[in-house]
Amino acid sequence: MIGPSRVAELDMPSAGIETGGSRPAQSYWNESWERLRANRIGVGAGALILVFAAIAIMAPLVSAFITHYQPQTINLDQTFAKPGSVHWLGSDELGRDTLTRLVWGARVSLGVAFLTVAISLTVGTSVGMLAGYYGGWIDDVLMRLVDTVLAIPAIFLFILMSILFRPNPFTLAVIVASVGWGAVARLVRGEVLSVKQRDFVLATRSIGARDTRLMARHLLPNVLPVLIVAASLGVGQIILVEAALDFLGLGIQPPTASWGNMLTNAESYFFRSGWLVALPGVTIFTTVLASNIFGNAVRDAFDPRLKS
Amino acid sequence: MILAKYLARRFFASVIVVLGVTLITLLLMDRTRGTYVPGIDLNPSLRPEDIARLRANLGLDRPFYIWYLTWIWGVLHGDFGRSMIDGSTVMSHILDRLPNTIELTATAILVGILISIPVGVVSALRRGSKTDHTLTVVSVAGFAVPQFWLGLMLILIFSVTLEQHGLPWLPSSGAYSAYNGGDLLDRLLHLIMPATVLSFFYVSTWSRFIRSSMLEVLSQDYIRTARAKGMSERRVVYLHGLRNALIPLITLIGLELPGLVSGGLVVEVVFGWPGIGKLAFERALQYDYTTVMGVTFFATMLVIAGNLLADLLYGVLDPRIRYG
Repeated sequence: MIGPSRVAELDMPSAGIETGGSRPAQSYWNESWERLRANRIGVGAGALILVFAAIAIMAPLVSAFITHYQPQTINLDQTFAKPGSVHWLGSDELGRDTLTRLVWGARVSLGVAFLTVAISLTVGTSVGMLAGYYGGWIDDVLMRLVDTVLAIPAIFLFILMSILFRPNPFTLAVIVASVGWGAVARLVRGEVLSVKQRDFVLATRSIGARDTRLMARHLLPNVLPVLIVAASLGVGQIILVEAALDFLGLGIQPPTASWGNMLTNAESYFFRSGWLVALPGVTIFTTVLASNIFGNAVRDAFDPRLKS
Repeated sequence: MILAKYLARRFFASVIVVLGVTLITLLLMDRTRGTYVPGIDLNPSLRPEDIARLRANLGLDRPFYIWYLTWIWGVLHGDFGRSMIDGSTVMSHILDRLPNTIELTATAILVGILISIPVGVVSALRRGSKTDHTLTVVSVAGFAVPQFWLGLMLILIFSVTLEQHGLPWLPSSGAYSAYNGGDLLDRLLHLIMPATVLSFFYVSTWSRFIRSSMLEVLSQDYIRTARAKGMSERRVVYLHGLRNALIPLITLIGLELPGLVSGGLVVEVVFGWPGIGKLAFERALQYDYTTVMGVTFFATMLVIAGNLLADLLYGVLDPRIRYG
């Protein structure tokens, strides 16, 4: 990787390199990794996300051994329970355990978020790479398409699409990614346009590398830092969008628990239990906050040029 | 001359984008219209030929592309068609809701600007101080708060809890009271919570932006020159610094123009605010696709106008920008 590391090296006194007293030469990836590890708050936030993800994956075990409730078990004797020893975080209007539902909801929310990022990156990178590399009419067509998609107010597109496809976690990810890929494509195209000008591309081509090889083996690694940054900054926003769609009734449908649709339900029982409104929101907030902090840390580590 | 050329190119690009947007919207709506006649397909007393006649009245028997061309032709003549639900014109629906939406969004943007500029400037001037750290933490946290949840919490606290304790409480829904309401005070009371939620979002975005923009400007040579010639710090910061630091904010606010329609949608739904976003949301759920098409078209025009306006203002305010 040429760009960022060269900027960092320019700042170092040249004398330090000659005396050999400086740190050994490191690859861009090593350096970035070191920078990321040095950021304690960032690492903490990343660890929190991992813990949430682990809990989400192990939701059935949590149900069986820790909370002893299933997310959809109705118990009409224990509706609107306050947080306590029976229901740690209380229960809802049907006596369903809130903690258990939050844990199962994490599966949906985090799962959809990661899937959305994966789809956006794959589609966006392909489109941006093709547009930036080939230029000309291919660039024009693809970028006008991106302009069009990004010009529709995203929420309208989400509403229309979720009416069209009955949302489950997979279609929901596709729906949210249908907007997300556009921004990625623009980003990747910009990077490819600048990397394309470098000498090594000419050199690679002159020894007979085909377009596909050039793109996959030489351009992609150079675009990767931008993608990593975009991905880690995107997760938090996607969780918010997904929760909002669930809340509007356009996302995951009850009785499947998701952080967003737990709030739709709670809205009807304001007067009975404020807990039902507060808890899912706090969960969303914590997760998004951790993702954003981690995303910022990743950006600072992988792309020092962007540091604010 | 260069500007004229630039504008012409932007115009043609915009036309393509608008056509693309309407086509995508209609394609999405079209998939649902095959079986659609409002509420009537559930009516067992209607014969098939009645349903066919009703469909024909709404233009649903015509092929997709004819419908689209007719619609475009109408739009070019300022006719957005009639709602499929209630038969009144789409334009009258939009004009009906527009003042409410503008009231909410304009208030939120204004409050957003008034709070975020001082916050951003203070953060930048006291970079690294406790104040700066606190403000940073608050705005990073502000990013992570789900808008609709913030709205629900405000309702829970300021409407539900206050009312339960017999205290004066804020109205939780609508833009004005239906009975003996509608005066200025009543409207303001209704505006407080939705505008707070919406401006909260603007403040956390813009204050960070102003901070970094201010820091960048303050490190420029002309600031050093101003200081070197003995200008007072206050004049340096406000006359040279802030004026230049605010230029990029114009872009942000220009990009917020489409937020007039879509940005407040979730807030409008939470607070039952009778605005355009809520209109689009309700009508989409009822498959009223003429209304949805109309609002989407309107919103897209705002996106394009906002982008263009931001670019042009940017050039006016910053002569270093050239259009190529």
